[in-house]
Amino acid sequence: MKIIIRNGSEQPLYQQIKEQIRGAILRQELKEGEKLPSIRSLANDLHVSVLTTKRVYEELETEGFIVTIVGKGSFVASENMEMLSEAKRHLIEKKLSEVWQMANTLGINKEELYSMMEIIFEEDDE
Amino acid sequence: MKDVLEVNNLKKELGSFSLERLTFTLKEGCITGFIGVNGSGKTTTIKTILGLYPKDEGSITFFGKELEKSEYTIKNRIGVVLDEGYFYEEMTLKEMKSVIAPAYSDWDESVFLNYINRFKLKLNQKISTLSKGMRMKFAISIALSHHADILIMDEPTSGLDPLIRDELMEILLNFMEEEGKSVFFSTHITSDLDKVADMLILIDKGRIILNESKDELIERHAVVKGDNSLINESTRKLFVSLRQTAFGFEGITDKADVVCEEMNDVIIEKTSIENVMLAYIKEG
Amino acid sequence: MLLHLIKKDLILAKKYLLFMLIFAVVGPIFIYSRLGFDNGSFTSFLITVLFVEYIIYNMVSMQEDKYRGSALLCTTPHTRNGVIKAKYLFIFVIFIGCFLLYNLAAAIGASTGLTRLSINNVGIVLLIISVFFGILIPVQTKFGYEKTKYIFFIIIFLTPFILPAIIEWVQSTGININYDLAISQSIKAWIPFVIAVLMGVISMMISIQIFSKKNL
Repeated sequence: MKIIIRNGSEQPLYQQIKEQIRGAILRQELKEGEKLPSIRSLANDLHVSVLTTKRVYEELETEGFIVTIVGKGSFVASENMEMLSEAKRHLIEKKLSEVWQMANTLGINKEELYSMMEIIFEEDDE
Repeated sequence: MKDVLEVNNLKKELGSFSLERLTFTLKEGCITGFIGVNGSGKTTTIKTILGLYPKDEGSITFFGKELEKSEYTIKNRIGVVLDEGYFYEEMTLKEMKSVIAPAYSDWDESVFLNYINRFKLKLNQKISTLSKGMRMKFAISIALSHHADILIMDEPTSGLDPLIRDELMEILLNFMEEEGKSVFFSTHITSDLDKVADMLILIDKGRIILNESKDELIERHAVVKGDNSLINESTRKLFVSLRQTAFGFEGITDKADVVCEEMNDVIIEKTSIENVMLAYIKEG
Repeated sequence: MLLHLIKKDLILAKKYLLFMLIFAVVGPIFIYSRLGFDNGSFTSFLITVLFVEYIIYNMVSMQEDKYRGSALLCTTPHTRNGVIKAKYLFIFVIFIGCFLLYNLAAAIGASTGLTRLSINNVGIVLLIISVFFGILIPVQTKFGYEKTKYIFFIIIFLTPFILPAIIEWVQSTGININYDLAISQSIKAWIPFVIAVLMGVISMMISIQIFSKKNL
């Protein structure tokens, strides 16, 4: 699992870490039931506070991505495929609304937005 | 996270200096850095919670038990490293150990010898011949050889070179890998804390100024630079410390996100623990 | 556990220990040969014990004051009380050592006339030691080594001069008690010993109190 933190980024540390772990789970780089590093070893390796990694695991657990068993550790939750896809969709939807809001502020309308997206897709296909 | 140490309204007067109603807790599983300049009260606080200075008022509770009532059980679980060592200089390492080790019910000779080997110390060396760094290593060897649950250290790294300091920080991180351990150490070398601290407590003139998670502290503070025209009554309030010259201003804010939103055309940079400490101390 | 603190004191006194051991045997013989009066054995033993106790105790106190090792020890489960109790126990252990070595001296030097001592006499010596250290230790705990070292050094010096008078006084008081209480002789002999121990315990409790308030 790769976690790279950007210091000085606007996003709080815990958020960066959380998103990267969550991404790894969604991309199935971390398998169901796989054991995650302890909050202490994660903190030591990333040079962040143990309170930060604790918060990350707590929030990931609330969101349903991991399960923590006292005395044993934290594990990737066993999701059924539907829930995973739903979470994935939800993330994209969030980003898309952000893009739409930004477009509005900048005065870019729907048509322009569509054509911009077309161009991006074409570039990707090449 | 449980509290392994609770200090409540601790008051201690020492000549012209005094600790004023000190209240803080140490969480289990955390390394808590205790920072402050010389004379701020770090050593006084640590000595008082260890019982070396009898307190005037307040309560000190370790693992849920009051220090005064359960001294023996509590001290068995504390590893201590004091700045001045307080070793009998004429004794050898072996002799000194033979005086201290039997006091602890869980003394682990193999762990001790492990550390001695690792630090390349010689047991029949006289303590007076040790350098400061070796002295600290010896103190650590003893402090970590009786399965202590909490390690309390007063300025363990002062006067030591960066290599040894780094080594010590590694040892602390290793120590923490086991469940249920905690570390509390005072220092004015804040760069050590950048690496290992989970919680930070800032003390100045006998009072606690800050007490929070290191990451949150660093994230909510920032160095801000910009033109003097941007400083007015409302923006001034966003700063803990502010320095204005003919060329512009530079300050430390404790509300980095607000500055981000409300002040345009400023440079916002990540700050270090040292800058934060200085900002609060100078203004205080 | 207190034994380890006593061991600590012995290590601190290492430099003088051998010499003191020899003195504890040779001293009584030497002093006795110089004295030659009735209670010669008793006085020899007394002076020897005072000398040995004081030299060793002073050596240990000096190092304790210099290196402040008791600070670290108090953070360990030895605790403050243990540190104080061990001081008193140490004095007692040295006394026992001197007593055993005196018996050795009496065996070796029997030709000079040095004799074994009665329980009563041993008890009186312990009593004197008890009074001396019973005052010295709390005072030293309260005011520190530096301030008190000269006072007691002077007292030690005066001892050979004051002692004959004190001994006479103690003996006479002892005789009075004999007549008043009319207990069996063998039990009466232990009275000084018991009083000495009691005084030691009381002094110890005072020292513990004083020490508990000290900033280390």
